[in-house]
Amino acid sequence: MNNIHQEQISEHMERFINMFHLYDVGLNGHRHEPIAEYRRNGFELLKSEDFPSRRDEDWKYTSVTPIINQKFIEAPKANLPSQPTLDFENHAIVFNNGHLSSQLPTIEGVEILSVADALKSESYNNWINAQLQVQSGTLKNTFLRLNQAFSASGLFIKVGKNINITKPIHIQYNSISDSNQTFITHPQLFVWMEVGSNAQIIEDYSNSGSEDASYFTNVVNRIELGKNAKLVHLKLQNESFKAQAVNNTIVSQMRDSNYSHYALDLGGNIVRNNLSIRLMDSNTLSNLYGAFIGFNDQHIDNQTFIDHAMPHCQSNEMYKGILADRSRGVFNGKVLVRQDAQKTNAFQQSSSLVLSPTAVMDTKPQLEIFADDVKCSHGATIGHLDESSIFYLNSRGLSENMAKSLLKRAFISEVVDHIENEDLKELAYAKIEDKLNLMKI
Amino acid sequence: MLEIRDLVVSVEGKEILKGINLTVRPGEIHAIMGPNGSGKSTLSSVLAGKEEYEINSGSILFEGEDLLEMEVTERAHAGIFLAFQYPVEIPGVTNATFLKSAINSTRKARGLEELSPVEVLKLIREKAKMLEIDEKFLKRSLNEGFSGGEKKRNEMLQMALLDPKLGILDETDSGLDIDALRIVSDAVNQLRDPQRSFIVITHYQRLLNYIVPDFVHVLHEGRIVKTGDKSLALKLEDEGYDWVKGGAEALI
Ligand SMILES: Nc1ncnc2c1ncn2[C@@H]1O[C@H](COP(=O)(O)OP(=O)(O)OP(=O)(O)O)[C@@H](O)[C@H]1O
Ligand SMILES: [Mg+2]
Repeated sequence: MNNIHQEQISEHMERFINMFHLYDVGLNGHRHEPIAEYRRNGFELLKSEDFPSRRDEDWKYTSVTPIINQKFIEAPKANLPSQPTLDFENHAIVFNNGHLSSQLPTIEGVEILSVADALKSESYNNWINAQLQVQSGTLKNTFLRLNQAFSASGLFIKVGKNINITKPIHIQYNSISDSNQTFITHPQLFVWMEVGSNAQIIEDYSNSGSEDASYFTNVVNRIELGKNAKLVHLKLQNESFKAQAVNNTIVSQMRDSNYSHYALDLGGNIVRNNLSIRLMDSNTLSNLYGAFIGFNDQHIDNQTFIDHAMPHCQSNEMYKGILADRSRGVFNGKVLVRQDAQKTNAFQQSSSLVLSPTAVMDTKPQLEIFADDVKCSHGATIGHLDESSIFYLNSRGLSENMAKSLLKRAFISEVVDHIENEDLKELAYAKIEDKLNLMKI
Repeated sequence: MLEIRDLVVSVEGKEILKGINLTVRPGEIHAIMGPNGSGKSTLSSVLAGKEEYEINSGSILFEGEDLLEMEVTERAHAGIFLAFQYPVEIPGVTNATFLKSAINSTRKARGLEELSPVEVLKLIREKAKMLEIDEKFLKRSLNEGFSGGEKKRNEMLQMALLDPKLGILDETDSGLDIDALRIVSDAVNQLRDPQRSFIVITHYQRLLNYIVPDFVHVLHEGRIVKTGDKSLALKLEDEGYDWVKGGAEALI
C-alpha cells in the first residue's frame, strides 16, 4: 500500500482492513480453502469502497457513523445455558455470538451446511457466487462486502425440488456479553428454494447478556425462490437497547413463486433493514410486512425495494410502527415497475402511531412506474391513539394502561394477522406484548 | 343513588348544561326526552366521565361519593354504565377479547374472583343468546362494520355482562326495528331490580311502552323544563316540544 492510497482510506475502513489482515495472517495452511478465497474476494471489494454517509440518498435518514466508528473487539466465546425453546416443533439452529453452537438439523430432501462446506461443492459454489451478483436495492451498501469479508460461520440451506418442510426452521442468533466493549458479528444465510419447495424460516435475534451489551450485528440473507416455491420468512429482532443491527435481505423470485417476509423490530439502538425483492419472472406474489416498536432513543429504519421487471406480479407491502419517547422510525419503500411489467399489482401502506412529541416518523414512498397497465398504490398515515376509543374502553372498566395496550396491539395486529401459521403468529404476538408491557405511555 | 345538583357544564367555552337537578333513587327508571342538541348526550357523557367537558359548577353524588372526583374507569367499576349513542368502532380488538378484559377487570375491582377463560366465555354466550347476538360477532373486531342495530345490541350485551348499578341508555332505541327494540327492552327489563336504576334517553315514546319509566323529564337548552310520569311522553309525541319550551320561561 502506498502513501497516496492510504490517505484516501477512511479511518474506519482502515480498522476493518487491519482486522482482515489479522485474520489473513492466522490462516496459515488454510489460505487456499474456498471460504478463505470467498472472504478475500469480499475483502478486495470492501477495501475499495467506503461506508455510506447521509449524503447518500439511500442512507439519508440513518447515519452509520456511530456504528462503524466503534473499535470492535472479537465476539467473545459464549457458553450459553440452554435457551428456552419455542413451544412448537421446529428445526433449531443456534448461533451464539456468531458461532454455530448446535448441530445442523437433518431434514430429508434438504441440505443444511456451513457456507464454508457449501463452497467446496462446485454447483453450490457457483450458485453462491451467482447470488453475490444480485444487487441490493440499497445503493452504497458497503455492509454486504463487510459481511462477505468477515463472515465466520455462514449458513447454507437448500430445499430440494417439491420438498415441503412442515416444521419451521428456527435460526437463533444469541448475543451475550457482560463487558461494555463492542463486538461485531456477521450472520450470513443463503437459502435456495428449488422448484415447488415450501419452507418457513424464523430468523430470531436476541440478547441474553446484560441489558447494556453493545454489539453490532451485520446480517446478509440471500434467498432464491425457484419456480412455484413458497417461503415464509419471519424475522424477530430483539437485540439489546445498546446494540446496532443492519439486516440485508436480498430475494430473487422465479415464476409462480410466493415469498412472505415479516419483520418484527423490537430491540436495538440503531436498526437498519434493507430488503430487496427482484421479480425475475411472471405470476409471483411478494408480501412484505413489518412492525416496529421504538422506545428511548431507538432508531429503526426500513428500506424496501421491489423490482417489478415482469408482468402479472403482485406485491403487498405494509409497515406499521409505534414510536414513544425520543425514538425515530423511517420507512422508505421503493417500487420500480419496469416497462415490461404490465398487469402489475403493487400496494404499499405505511402507518405509525407517534406517542410522544419527541418521537419522529419519516415516511418516503418512492414509486417509479414505467408500465401503463398497472395497479399501484401507496398510502402513509401518522397518528395518535384515539381518545374516544380510550374513553370507550375506560368506560367499560379497562384501566388507562390496559386500554392503551389493547389499542397498540390492535394497531400492530393488522400486520401480524397476515401471518397464516398460528404458531408463528402467536410467537410474534408474544414478543410484541413483552415489549408493549415495558412501554410507559 | 344519583344526585345531580345545579350542574353547569360547558364545552369549548360554550355552556351546554345550564343547571341540571336530578335525583335517581334505587330501582327507578327515568326517561329523558328533549329536542336535538338540548344536551342529553352531554349529560350522559359527563356522568361517564368524558374529559372534554368542563364542569363549571354543581355536584354529582353517586352512592354518596363525589362522582366528579372519580376517573372514568373508577366510575365503571363503581357501577356506572353508559350505552353510547354512537358506539366507537375499534378495529383489531376482537369483541371477545374486549369483553373478557372488561368483565375481569371490573370483577377484580369489585373484589370478585376473576373468571377463567372458559367461565367467561360461557357467560358471554349465555347473555349473547338472550340478546339474539350471533356468536360470530364475538370474533369480530369491536363494533367494526356492525350495523346500527348490531352496535346497540352489543352495548346491551356489555351492560348485561358488567352488572351496573346505574345504566344510562343514550338513544339505544334510535334506528332499531320493532324486533330489535323488543330484544333490547327485554334485556333491560330482565336487569330491572330494586337496587338497579336506569336513565333512558330517547326521542320516541314507543320505547317507553316496553321500558316503563317512573319519571319522564324534558331537557331543553340545558335545563330540565318539565318532569312528569309516563303520560308526559305520550303528550310530547302528540304535541311536540313547543308547549314545554313555553313552559321553560314560565318556570324561570
Ligand atoms: N365535543 C363538543 N364540541 C363542541 N360542541 C359540542 C360537543 N359536544 C356537544 N356539543 C354541542 O352541545 C350541544 C348539545 O349536544 P348533545 O350531543 O348533548 O345533544 P343531544 O341532546 O344529545 O342531541 P341529539 O338528540 O341530537 O343526540 C349541541 O349544540 C352540540 O353541538
Ligand atoms: Mg345525543
